[in-house]
Amino acid sequence: MKATTPTLQQSLSSMPQALSGRRVLDLSDEKGVYCTKLFADMGADVIKIEPPGGARERWFPPFWKDEPDEDRSLFFLYMNTNKRGVTLDLFHPSGKELFLRLAKEADLIVDTSLPGTLDHLGLGFETLQTQHPEVVLTSITGFGQTGPHRHYDTSDLVSNAMGGSLHVVGEESDPPVSLAGSQAYVMASTTAAASSMIALLNASSSGRGQHVDISIQESVLAVTSIAGVGKWLDDGIVPKRYGSALFASVPSGAYPCRDGKIYLMINRPLHWKALADWIHEVTGNNEVLDPMFHGPSSIRQPYRELLDLFISELTQGFSVEEFYREGQRRHLSVSPINTAETVSRDAHLAARHFFVKPENAAAEELTYPGAPYQLEKTPWRLQRTAPRLGQHNAEIYCDELGLSLDQLFEYQNMGVV
Amino acid sequence: MLKDSTQALLGLRVIEFTAGMAGPWIGRFMAHCGAEVIKVESIKRPDVTRLFIPPSDPDGGVQAQASPWFTDWNAGKRFISLDLTHPQATPLAKKLVAQSDIVIENYATGVMEKLGLDEESLQQVKPDLIHFRTNGYGHSGPDRHHIAWGPNIEAISGLAYLSGFRERDCSMTQYAYPDPASALHGLFVILCALEHRRKTGEGQVISLAQVEATISCFGNTLMEQLGNGKPPAKLGNRSLWDSPQGCYPCRGQDRWCAITIANQEQWARLCELLKKPEWAQDPRFQSASMRAEHHDLIDAAIEAWTVSRDVFEVMEILQDTEIAAGVVQTTEDQFQRDPHLAERNYFEEIPHQTKGSVIAPGIPLGLTATPGRTSDAGAAVGRDNAYVLEEIMGLSEEEISQLTKAGAIEDPNLKTTV
Repeated sequence: MKATTPTLQQSLSSMPQALSGRRVLDLSDEKGVYCTKLFADMGADVIKIEPPGGARERWFPPFWKDEPDEDRSLFFLYMNTNKRGVTLDLFHPSGKELFLRLAKEADLIVDTSLPGTLDHLGLGFETLQTQHPEVVLTSITGFGQTGPHRHYDTSDLVSNAMGGSLHVVGEESDPPVSLAGSQAYVMASTTAAASSMIALLNASSSGRGQHVDISIQESVLAVTSIAGVGKWLDDGIVPKRYGSALFASVPSGAYPCRDGKIYLMINRPLHWKALADWIHEVTGNNEVLDPMFHGPSSIRQPYRELLDLFISELTQGFSVEEFYREGQRRHLSVSPINTAETVSRDAHLAARHFFVKPENAAAEELTYPGAPYQLEKTPWRLQRTAPRLGQHNAEIYCDELGLSLDQLFEYQNMGVV
Repeated sequence: MLKDSTQALLGLRVIEFTAGMAGPWIGRFMAHCGAEVIKVESIKRPDVTRLFIPPSDPDGGVQAQASPWFTDWNAGKRFISLDLTHPQATPLAKKLVAQSDIVIENYATGVMEKLGLDEESLQQVKPDLIHFRTNGYGHSGPDRHHIAWGPNIEAISGLAYLSGFRERDCSMTQYAYPDPASALHGLFVILCALEHRRKTGEGQVISLAQVEATISCFGNTLMEQLGNGKPPAKLGNRSLWDSPQGCYPCRGQDRWCAITIANQEQWARLCELLKKPEWAQDPRFQSASMRAEHHDLIDAAIEAWTVSRDVFEVMEILQDTEIAAGVVQTTEDQFQRDPHLAERNYFEEIPHQTKGSVIAPGIPLGLTATPGRTSDAGAAVGRDNAYVLEEIMGLSEEEISQLTKAGAIEDPNLKTTV
């Protein structure tokens, strides 16, 4: 795998970032940590505020080189790139006062505590808006700020259950199952990031910020809409787990090659024709050319099992790599099922410099999954690694907020920071 | 014109050259927030989600505006019909782009270039254009011409392999996760580009490879491979930091409750419910990692408690003691049995040209001061030709009729053939 080349890094470092000049206070736990990563990676000044004992995610395994340490959780390192970090006890009166001073200079505050928590601390949206009318407060919670379940506890798994993801992932004969990572939190975080940007742009033109109410359950519901309410009301079939095929697409699924499985999916009439011709060409199957199979996916819905048989007769003669290359040559949507190992050394991703090391990093520094998007003028950048606990206390409280070092020590002794 | 203060993106114009979900879903959000979104399509090669035969009318053939996916993901937009392969259509498309702020495009690599709508040409007619492009593999690299649908991206990104139970070689979603995941990343990055334009007046080109946006979503899992050279564990429903966690069977067919124990206090309360109070102090179970070592034993005890109970009752009992628990809901549960979603008016009823109305998942942006709204569901190709061609682009009736005869503008009444 190739990290970003030095020349590319040099050109990056002379380029502006889209969100430079925006300041974000990050009160979030693992529910919102990806939201503020998206902001930080685009150049916003994100200040992660941790309780003096440190965020819970600092102890999420696994750890870099398997050495358990508050600065080596791979989850924490990935999710907190480009952020600065301070410690602050929001339950302490002096902690609240410091927070309000920080909030006066902030464009966006991201919080994931249960509804009412910030109000209870005297740090609710009305207070924040009174001292700074343009401020945006984004709350990411399991079920949102209103409604009978607003105080329900959640987890990524529970959010995926209530939002409708679990019921439609995996094999029909298995229990419902989760995707890798924490996708309910990631989807809510990405929705929250977009929504926060809309609120920030609106605040810049109207002079008024707003409270953004993100429900993780609702984010998952929106994301799962292919298997959602519209389809069910239309065809009367409640979506459920369906193995490797996508219900709406015929054919689709994982098919056996000589040395593993290949994923294939057909939607457009032209793609079906190309596949049918290929099956006929290799296996001599004439039935597959029957015009009754021609057309969009929904026309083939009654013939899924038969077509799967035809396709398996074709795929069995190839290795995964052969079928992938030849399938794509025929403009068919065919892909290998990559593992972590094969994706991390994928030639296409390497040529695009997707996996990167932090700018100016030593050779032994960790490699990270990089930019989810490429911008011509304001690139995604990995400028700094996740903050150590309280790493920027002096920089932010003294240099920027104007506390003396003595005051900071006093706060430290009181347990405020 | 009075500014409607409940729609934050009012005044922006977006041109879509899109199909499927990853592109159109971005425009759906923007239209909800007040942007004028115009979808350019050809009747001869319509958005693939239009190619749907309604089960209620199996012999009726493809009906270009009946698909529940199309009506949802393209709600709130304007629709014009241009045959972009016609040489006289290219200048029309450019003229439209010149009067807009944002282009969203999700065709295969090389298609826009072939149509004469490449990055440079569009930038020439609109120097501060925000030009967003997305497809499976991105626009550079050796595999840039490969084609992929959302489920293919689940496979090539490693997500399908890493998800689900250990004994399965891949676990797939029924919702083409990379499509909506890429669209949400796309929405965010377009808004970032708007912020840059607001500050500097500059537009730019943005390219999103769906495989990369998808990897970004589970990058923390991949770090085990990148940092430690080890394959990440396939966890099923378990967690590396919360234990026990799982989906437990309840009364009835295919009914499950998801449960997560995140701290010692919750563990003690669970032990009470399971009538195993001694487990709260049991030295084997004093931390998440210790409980993980005995996960099967704990699962059996939880299952013995859940299996004869109603799934909603299980959730409520656990939530009453502040333990994270949730019904594995079907779309039917969500629409008919979830009092919380009902009270929040989550589902949206959207007017539809021929069906009266359709129900769609709500737009979960939660903008309390600028909530937005959806005017109408996705409609026929070319429905808004007159508005767009005459009012926005200022073409005369004569020009329109001549370009329609030539075939650059398609007659909206042209029969769809697929």
